[in-house]
Amino acid sequence: MSNILEIEWLGFRYPDSPRKAISDFDLAVPEGEIVVLAGPSGCGKSTLLRAVNGLIPHMYSGEYTGSVRVGGTNVKESSMRDLAQKVGFLFQNPENQIFMFTVERDIAFGLENLGVPRPEMRARVDEAMRLLDIGELALRAPHELSDGQKQRVALAGVLAMEPRLVILDEPTSLLDPKTASELVGLVARLRKELGTTFVVVEHRLDLLVKVADRIVVMSDGRKALEGTPAEVLFGEDAESYGVSTPSITRLQKMLAKDGLVPQGELMTTAELATSLEGGRS
Amino acid sequence: MMWLSSGFIFRRGTSAYHRLDPRVKLLVSVLMFVTTLLVRTLYELAAVLLFMIALSAFATVLRRVARTMAFTALFSAFIFALNFVFTRNIETSLLYAARFVAIVVSTSLFFITTSPDELEQVMKTFRLPRDVIFAFVTAVRFIPVMFLDTIQIMDAQKSRGLELEKGNLLRRVRNMIPILIPLVVNSVVRSGELAEAMESRAYGAVPRPTSLVEYRTSLADKAVATAAVVAFALVAYSFYFVIPAQIL
Repeated sequence: MSNILEIEWLGFRYPDSPRKAISDFDLAVPEGEIVVLAGPSGCGKSTLLRAVNGLIPHMYSGEYTGSVRVGGTNVKESSMRDLAQKVGFLFQNPENQIFMFTVERDIAFGLENLGVPRPEMRARVDEAMRLLDIGELALRAPHELSDGQKQRVALAGVLAMEPRLVILDEPTSLLDPKTASELVGLVARLRKELGTTFVVVEHRLDLLVKVADRIVVMSDGRKALEGTPAEVLFGEDAESYGVSTPSITRLQKMLAKDGLVPQGELMTTAELATSLEGGRS
Repeated sequence: MMWLSSGFIFRRGTSAYHRLDPRVKLLVSVLMFVTTLLVRTLYELAAVLLFMIALSAFATVLRRVARTMAFTALFSAFIFALNFVFTRNIETSLLYAARFVAIVVSTSLFFITTSPDELEQVMKTFRLPRDVIFAFVTAVRFIPVMFLDTIQIMDAQKSRGLELEKGNLLRRVRNMIPILIPLVVNSVVRSGELAEAMESRAYGAVPRPTSLVEYRTSLADKAVATAAVVAFALVAYSFYFVIPAQIL
């Protein structure tokens, strides 16, 4: 499978900053993967995301080295107009990315900007609402929505532009646990239905480990760790980079050390319990 | 504050008047506005006001229009007093005072029954630049958000010991500073995030963006617009050529 995202030797320094926000960063993401980006605040995650969707260098200038390619084209050499159709960006606060007075018009915002003809726009907006199951909110105003609903509306606005790559910046930080796990389920479903690639910045690893193909851990603007969730979380270094390992994984790690359970795959609570039962009998 | 401003804030309605094309509603309001400027006697003005009240009742917003009128009463009392001091003429003073109420009602009737979405449509009809329209749209869109922000900041500062209701006027105004500064900072941060989100969704990609919603002028719209213009012409004509002011 071809790579939808290829980052090579990326480095970036903001104009007034003494040190680089990103340095020597390499990453290749095959189409259809869900990649989790983790690391402490200030490690350069936000900068990296902005370099992927083109806000860097098109909106923020600075010292830029290396290259970012999305679907084969260089981000630096494409226009924001083209990038907006290739990379969808769901920002942390959904409130600040809903512009219009009604849900359906907001979902259409990007398509209106691109000059998409009305019949096609109608179809794409309806499809985005169907995917996120928000059809009944079509005529609501933004202030009449809950946080979870706002998140879905914002995501629908992103998906209506039919990007192949979607960036989610801490999508669950403002959601309650139930809505957060629903959102993660939604991401897994969209990947399956549309084949969309997701890059997700997230602290709640417990929610994402089951659906993620890969975890990339950043530290001081560099890539510190990369691997499957099992590789990263069972490794020795994850904790030292401030990655919070889910408690069930920590338990599995401890039990595996004593040879009570296998350590190949990440297990859910139920799987771990079954495995322990089996080991005893 | 919310009570006072409610006379100008749109709430969704289902009356036949709400459903009219926003441009027709604007036309009706402008014509009523001009009529109030044309009237010369209290009787004529009373007739115009009566018509506006009937129209409000038809649009099922009579209660809110009444609230607007109660709100303007204070100002119009002031206008009456000022005019009376200078002209010593009760009738003229009353006319000016009542005219003010009528002007406010004609405008508020438009804003009460027109959604921000429709306002945007009206602005598009006048071919205002896209950036101006968008600035207006976001400004209105974020009114409820900023309102909630303000309440949160006030609560936060109160819990840290800020006493908003204490002291003389100057002190109270100074007390607002710890509210205003975070509010402004919040808004600046927010506008940065908005700009990023706009860029990411191709704002300004093509010179002529398309629109999801199409507004069509229906037969009813055309009928109401024609009736409004004809009625206005008749009223204006009768004021100046048929019924001399002295008779009324």
